[in-house]
Amino acid sequence: MNGVILSGRQVTKTFGALKAVWNVDFEVKKGEILGIIGPNGAGKTTLLSMINGTLSLTRGTITFKDQVISGLKPFRIAEQGISRTFQVVKPFPGMTLLENVSLGALFGKDKIRDAREAREKTRAILSTVNLSGQENVAVENLNISERKRLELARALAMGPELLLLDEVMAGLNTGEINWIMGLIRRLNEKEGRTILVIEHVMKAIMGISHRIMVLHHGEKIAEGPPERISNDEKVISAYLGERYAKRRGDNA
Amino acid sequence: MLLQAVINGLLFGAVYATIGIGFSLVWGVMNIINIAHGSFIMVGAYLSYTLYAVAGIDPFLSIPLVMAALFVIAYVIQKFSLNRVVRGSVFITLTFTFGLQILIANVCLLIWSADYRSVKLPYSSAGFQIGEVVIPLVRLGIFAVALILTGLFYLFMRRTKTGIAINATALNFEGAKTVGIDVYNIYAITFGVSAALAGAAGCLISPIMSVNPFVGGPLVAKAFVIAILGGLGSTIGALVGGMVLGLVETVGTVFIPSSYQELLGFSVLVLVLVFRPQGLLGKRFY
Amino acid sequence: MKTKAIVLGILAALCIAAPFLLTGFWVRLITFTFMFAVLASALNIIAGFTGYAAFGNMIFFGLGAYTTAVLMTRLGFSFPPALACSAAVAVAVAIVLGMLLLRLKGHYFALGTLGAAEAMKYIVENMTKITGGGQGITVPSLRGNPAVINTFFYFMMFGLLIIILVVVWRLSKNRLGYAFKAIRANEEAAGVMGIDTTRYKVTAWALSALFTGLTGSVYAFWFTYIDAPTVFDVMWVVKMFVILLIGGAGTVFGPVIGAFILETISELVWSRFINLHLGILGLIIILVVLFMPRGIISLVSQGKGIKDLIPVRRQAKGADR
Repeated sequence: MNGVILSGRQVTKTFGALKAVWNVDFEVKKGEILGIIGPNGAGKTTLLSMINGTLSLTRGTITFKDQVISGLKPFRIAEQGISRTFQVVKPFPGMTLLENVSLGALFGKDKIRDAREAREKTRAILSTVNLSGQENVAVENLNISERKRLELARALAMGPELLLLDEVMAGLNTGEINWIMGLIRRLNEKEGRTILVIEHVMKAIMGISHRIMVLHHGEKIAEGPPERISNDEKVISAYLGERYAKRRGDNA
Repeated sequence: MLLQAVINGLLFGAVYATIGIGFSLVWGVMNIINIAHGSFIMVGAYLSYTLYAVAGIDPFLSIPLVMAALFVIAYVIQKFSLNRVVRGSVFITLTFTFGLQILIANVCLLIWSADYRSVKLPYSSAGFQIGEVVIPLVRLGIFAVALILTGLFYLFMRRTKTGIAINATALNFEGAKTVGIDVYNIYAITFGVSAALAGAAGCLISPIMSVNPFVGGPLVAKAFVIAILGGLGSTIGALVGGMVLGLVETVGTVFIPSSYQELLGFSVLVLVLVFRPQGLLGKRFY
Repeated sequence: MKTKAIVLGILAALCIAAPFLLTGFWVRLITFTFMFAVLASALNIIAGFTGYAAFGNMIFFGLGAYTTAVLMTRLGFSFPPALACSAAVAVAVAIVLGMLLLRLKGHYFALGTLGAAEAMKYIVENMTKITGGGQGITVPSLRGNPAVINTFFYFMMFGLLIIILVVVWRLSKNRLGYAFKAIRANEEAAGVMGIDTTRYKVTAWALSALFTGLTGSVYAFWFTYIDAPTVFDVMWVVKMFVILLIGGAGTVFGPVIGAFILETISELVWSRFINLHLGILGLIIILVVLFMPRGIISLVSQGKGIKDLIPVRRQAKGADR
């Protein structure tokens, strides 16, 4: 399994009778961008939460760099080099932007001991996400675009080899979306980070991912390069309904 | 001996249930641990004592009066002060109710002095005997009234509009606001009901326990134990919790020297908190 | 920054000169105030910074006092090793109890610690052979000139205060302190950022216990008589919380300011109205909680005025309209 940095076998999460994620196998190669798509409720965020340890697995295993991480506490997984963003950004209240982000530098993979050094590293990251001017702003006062970038900066400050992005583009306008797409590409190509992206903005995720995985009702229904996925009948049926898929099939 | 202890424990357990219900109501609905709950019971007992000493009103009969008085006092307290900090942190609300408790204790000290007070009923020695077990009428009466109050509370929470509004507010504060419930008023009513129950409990204990301005602390500690044992949000739970506490106390004296009883109580408390914080029967709500 | 340093320097100089210029009464009073400031600062570490309201923190005060008293009377220890042992005992208990109780949140933690403290009180009281039970312990006192003794304890408490202030000041800026603050702000998210919350919570409590235990130890040596109901009394912690409320939790100097204000009020009011002292304390608590829950320091640092004392609910009400 050359180059595989993250893999999951029979990953399952149930909440009582609800099958949130069911028997999903997946592999992510080092240095690739894997996009995860699927209708709402498909289990995408649940899967991400299982990777970073926020949720425990009901069944199955997740392995990162040849080490089983399923069952570890979130902070241990963070130390291994995995960080994530959350859909609903909840920054640490009562702390400034700089303090929020430097937590990542202090306690993430690199565990920088010196607070001043952490702050410097944080400043560098803040300039990557265009938030340099606002390091002393109280986080309660940020707008949605700034919050999304704060969330990204926090995850980056942790120095991750694997970055999990959960709908970072939700609520942003076209210009901001393009900008984030560019940033994600840079993080991947220039800094070699492996990235898992959940997105609903189709053109964005299709545009930056090397491969796409599609979830529906908790199960993986398709996997492959973006062009193949966008023509996959099962995928179209999941998003738009069977009749539309059939009609397309008839016309093809 | 043991059987008598069991009966005593069960009889008194009903009063404990009344105490526990009021306390866990406030906790469950407003997430406030009301340290002053014990002092509400104490005030109820003092009022019962005064009504008896001055006007000869039997404690059982003064219950409605005392309940009304405590409801009003608590309603006012909640409406004009506690409501301001009710959504605050543990730090703040716990300290506030603690301050309230010592304030009330001092007021009682000034009015009734530090002497022990209790109600000496003319019929306190009347009772009947079943086999070896003696059942005093007073205790039976206390048991019956406490059960009735518990039952009334259950009906209130389930069948009346106000009760349902209280439930709604507890389960979903924002949602309740959206459907037009005056949530802060509901909070005040909740606090009032809780204090009324405490006052009733005070009346009930006045014939069998003497009261002084410092019983508030130990009483609220008991309320806390009952609430934890029985779990929040459950009337039956509070009843069970009250009975269990009653039993543990009376049966405990038979087997364990009294100096260790309190230790036992606290240890059980800490253990329950750590291993089963939802209590024996805790569930979402009433 | 420079003005702050100058002011602190002047205050420190005054504090150092004070015992040589004031009468014994005042020296003892200020020593007592220093003690409250240390205890409140210690509580501040676990409650103010980390967000765990340890209502049973006096367990460490009592343990510190008793450890020193027992070692000095039953085993003939001199004060310094007894002091060290008190600290060790307090920290050890904090670690053990912390592993058990720090998994609880909010009220449950607060009252769990209270339960543990009450349980400890009974245990200590019942170990009659070792602790003298209800009779308490009388610690051999220092011999000598009362003024010198007063001054000695004054500087002991002052020393403890300086040390804890330095520690807390460092915490407000360093990595450890950041971890505490993150745990308070959002414990789950803190875990996701890589913070081992269990380890840091226990560290916070152990640090708090260390200073609380040390203070208890000095208290035993100073007052020479201790008994369980006094040193394990919950009123100590209540006063600490009030001090934090008045001065400002989560700040460095809040506890000091709060301690001085509370002691001033105590002296002015309570000695004249002994009958009312509980009631007045209760009233103070209520008023402080209602009108300045963030403490004086937050008012000053944010340049607020009287109108900003209006508490939280007003804003919510406005949003409803």
